[in-house]
Amino acid sequence: MALVRDARDQFDWTLFVTVAALSVIGVVNLYSATSVEGGTRSDIYIQQIYWLTLGAGVAVLVAAIDYRHYERLGWVAYGGGLVLLVLVFLLGRGIRGSTRWISIGGSSLQPSELMKIGLIIALAKYLHHDPKTGGRTLKDLIVPGLIAAVPMGLVLLQPDLGTAVMLAFIFASIMVLTQLKARSLLALVVLFAVSAPITWEYLLHDYQRDRILTFMDPHADLLDTGWHSHQSLVAIGSGGFWGKGFMQGSQSQHRFLPDQHTDFPFSVWAEEQGLAGVLLLLSLYFFLILWGIKIASQAKDRFGAVVAVGVSAMIFWHTTVNIGMVTGMLPVVGVTLPLFSYGGSSVLATMMGIGLLMNVSMRRFHY
Amino acid sequence: MALLSPRREVGEFKKRYKWMALAVLATFFLFVGRAVELQVVEYAKWARNADDNVTRTLHLPATRGVVRDTASRVIADNRSSYRVFITPQMVDPQKGVRRIAELMELTDDEQETLRQKIAKVPESRRSHQIEMFSDITRDQVAALETHALELPGVDVIATPVRTYPYGALGAHAVGYVNEVSADDIKAKGNTYHAGDRIGRTGLEKAWEPYLRGTDGIHRVFVDARGRRQDRPEVDPDAHEMHRDPVPGHDVTLSLDMELMRAVETAFRGQPSGSAVVVETRTGRVRALYSKPAYDPNEMSGRLSADGFKALSDNAFRPLIDKTMFETYFPGSTFKVVTALAALQEGLVNPADRIDCPGYYEIGNRRFRCSHMHGEVDMHKAIVQSCNVYFWKIAEKVGIDKINEYARELGFGEPSGIGVNSEAAGFLASRKWYEENYGSRFLVGYTLNTAIGQGNTRVTLLQLALAYAALGNGGQLFVPELVERVSGPDGAVVQEFEPRVRRKLTIAPEHLQYVRDSLVGVVNDPSGTAFEARIEGGVRVAGKTGTAQVSYRRPKPGEDPRKSEYFNRDHAWFAGLAPADNPEIAFVVLVEHGGGGGKYAAPVAMQIVEQYLGGRAAPNTQGAVLSRTQEP
Repeated sequence: MALVRDARDQFDWTLFVTVAALSVIGVVNLYSATSVEGGTRSDIYIQQIYWLTLGAGVAVLVAAIDYRHYERLGWVAYGGGLVLLVLVFLLGRGIRGSTRWISIGGSSLQPSELMKIGLIIALAKYLHHDPKTGGRTLKDLIVPGLIAAVPMGLVLLQPDLGTAVMLAFIFASIMVLTQLKARSLLALVVLFAVSAPITWEYLLHDYQRDRILTFMDPHADLLDTGWHSHQSLVAIGSGGFWGKGFMQGSQSQHRFLPDQHTDFPFSVWAEEQGLAGVLLLLSLYFFLILWGIKIASQAKDRFGAVVAVGVSAMIFWHTTVNIGMVTGMLPVVGVTLPLFSYGGSSVLATMMGIGLLMNVSMRRFHY
Repeated sequence: MALLSPRREVGEFKKRYKWMALAVLATFFLFVGRAVELQVVEYAKWARNADDNVTRTLHLPATRGVVRDTASRVIADNRSSYRVFITPQMVDPQKGVRRIAELMELTDDEQETLRQKIAKVPESRRSHQIEMFSDITRDQVAALETHALELPGVDVIATPVRTYPYGALGAHAVGYVNEVSADDIKAKGNTYHAGDRIGRTGLEKAWEPYLRGTDGIHRVFVDARGRRQDRPEVDPDAHEMHRDPVPGHDVTLSLDMELMRAVETAFRGQPSGSAVVVETRTGRVRALYSKPAYDPNEMSGRLSADGFKALSDNAFRPLIDKTMFETYFPGSTFKVVTALAALQEGLVNPADRIDCPGYYEIGNRRFRCSHMHGEVDMHKAIVQSCNVYFWKIAEKVGIDKINEYARELGFGEPSGIGVNSEAAGFLASRKWYEENYGSRFLVGYTLNTAIGQGNTRVTLLQLALAYAALGNGGQLFVPELVERVSGPDGAVVQEFEPRVRRKLTIAPEHLQYVRDSLVGVVNDPSGTAFEARIEGGVRVAGKTGTAQVSYRRPKPGEDPRKSEYFNRDHAWFAGLAPADNPEIAFVVLVEHGGGGGKYAAPVAMQIVEQYLGGRAAPNTQGAVLSRTQEP
């Protein structure tokens, strides 16, 4: 009984309401985004509801178990994620020249999404046990760097640039939280400057290079790569202040937006709900992220703080890169908008993260 | 179970949480700003883009007005032609283009050209229909129409194409049309669309606003794949959905294409020249002929770059309108002006005789006459084209008085015909010579001016109108090329009456005197054009002229016959017919023809005979004289 009462008292309603609002809006938007497709895609929003329900269940589970148990199982979570990533190469099926999914039962799973949670937990565990409190040198970055580099490498091999970038950003955000020496930071910048051209030349695929080039000059090749970006701007811009109304977006309803249920749901929302809807949505997302940082700041231990920051960073970078992409501020990379994009793995990973946040939030009263 | 122990240093990150929160907030405001930029600031632009995405505007071209001659013979008309329009955004640059190429049986090169042409279409127009082929064959039409369903974004549209049944005849006056360029569209304030035709020269250009008509439009709603949609999210009231095209006005010219044919026939054997025929009593232009000419049918279609280069490089300058754009020394045809100036100013008694020894000396310079004319009065001087007589009276009249009457007769300024770039010609005054030829004015300049050399330059049209004024008793007309404009239904919208530009101050008796002398040029056995007279036909009055050309240095390796040809004088004949009651004034110029009497006058006579043959009183006087002359 005490546990239930505790849970009720300590339950983070703010977090719950924010996430629930985003989920509901996301499903409503998906309904509109996929309604015209008919046939196979018209029940996508139903599937998303299933995933959200499943995700909610997972989140409750994740939140229920004291997170300090996760610290103990940190390497298991991390190792499990890596195994799944390797399995992708053995069992995976390819879509559009990239192998990212493995089939489990009737649905497919994208291990790279779950890997983000595994990485966050692993980094949190490592940092928790790292006695260092002062500024970190480059040497101190080697071990956490390797922890991040292994899954990143596997994801790049798929190839999935978007997710690899996400892993890198999450890693960087966590490292920024711990202290870096100015000298180390400088060294990192130099390293980036050296590695960028090599990455460009040898690691990026043609379509990825094209996307970055398109971003530099979106009007260069409108028919191919720039088309996506341009049509997204048309949809958002033509939404105006109040939007065209639910199911009334001429661009989204007539399929001028590509992949509008996975990569461009924000554009659909912006077209149909206008600036008003965009402000609401942005407020929800960024409130959620700030709330996550607040949870981190109140965490009772370093592990909880790092986990909370990691999850906040994950949501922040996904949101920022996706919205930056659809508003033409960043190149087109396949990064999902949490809870808005259709996709089981993405929903599950996000919900696990939310569960972790809830966990850390609820246990701030312990000890 | 050893769970984590609380650590003292959980507050270690405090400062950095603040920075993180700040970064997150900054990102939030960045996105808010971007959203405001897109959805508020740039709203109009994107909304237009969105409408363009879902609407496709088909232009329904208006039928261009028909151009007819004075007897309603069709000069410019329209025929059906099939054009292929492609909406770039809907055609796959690889597969789609390959399929089009297969159906149209294009060569690989043509296929590649099409691909590049589609690729080059700017972003803003990719959802528009762009013309890619014109005048495709019936087989190509059939192939594309049969497979229309598998080729969204490819439309075959029947459009009227300009045709000119008379071909090159009258090409300079009528002009031609061709497709507008991007610059034209900008210059015309977007009233034209890509693929539209626009009048380029001649009447087609000058009367473009009347001939063009108004294009219609038809808008349809489409989705991203070009499929038509029934439930538009775009407000149909905000867009005009359909408008019928309004055909252009028909224009009836004063030109007489039968006469033009006659002119063409008369010029057979002459590679290069020009002729103008105007009605003396109305100023209506009956013939505007410039040889060689180009075929406006070719210019309106797809003239290749080589074809155009051939035209512009041609030494006979087929692109130049020699009736009004080119100017020439009028030669002896200008003596009429000198004579009228002398008579009107009262400086010369026409009966006074002057002795022509075959030359005229001023200081140590000797000006040559064609031959020794002996004692000549004004009449005889005109009939025999004696230079010495005109030099002598020119000294009395002076260069500026000659120019004054030349200007009154319409030289030195455009006639106002209203088509093409019309040259003003040039009359060099005493002041001009002083400013341009050193400070001292020489009498020689006046002498040259008196006989139509020096720096006097005229167009054929000016000369014809001046002779018309001479023939009608002193009315200088504005030349009239368009007689009337009628609407698509045939109703006359506007009729153009003859317009008098000015009434000459020269007394009718002086005009009569000169006209009588012109009769002698053709009908007096000593006249310079006597050999060319029409025996037993129309009596003609006129004046021969031989205009020197500036020396053209032979190019290395050039055929000597070519050098010889281009250094030969221009042959002139300007005149009136019938002589006693002139109906028409005409001017013939045979470029590098040589002597006017020998080369230009016969051409002119043929034209007159064709035009007036059988209608006018027979030329008995000339006929009798000629019979007595011939052995």
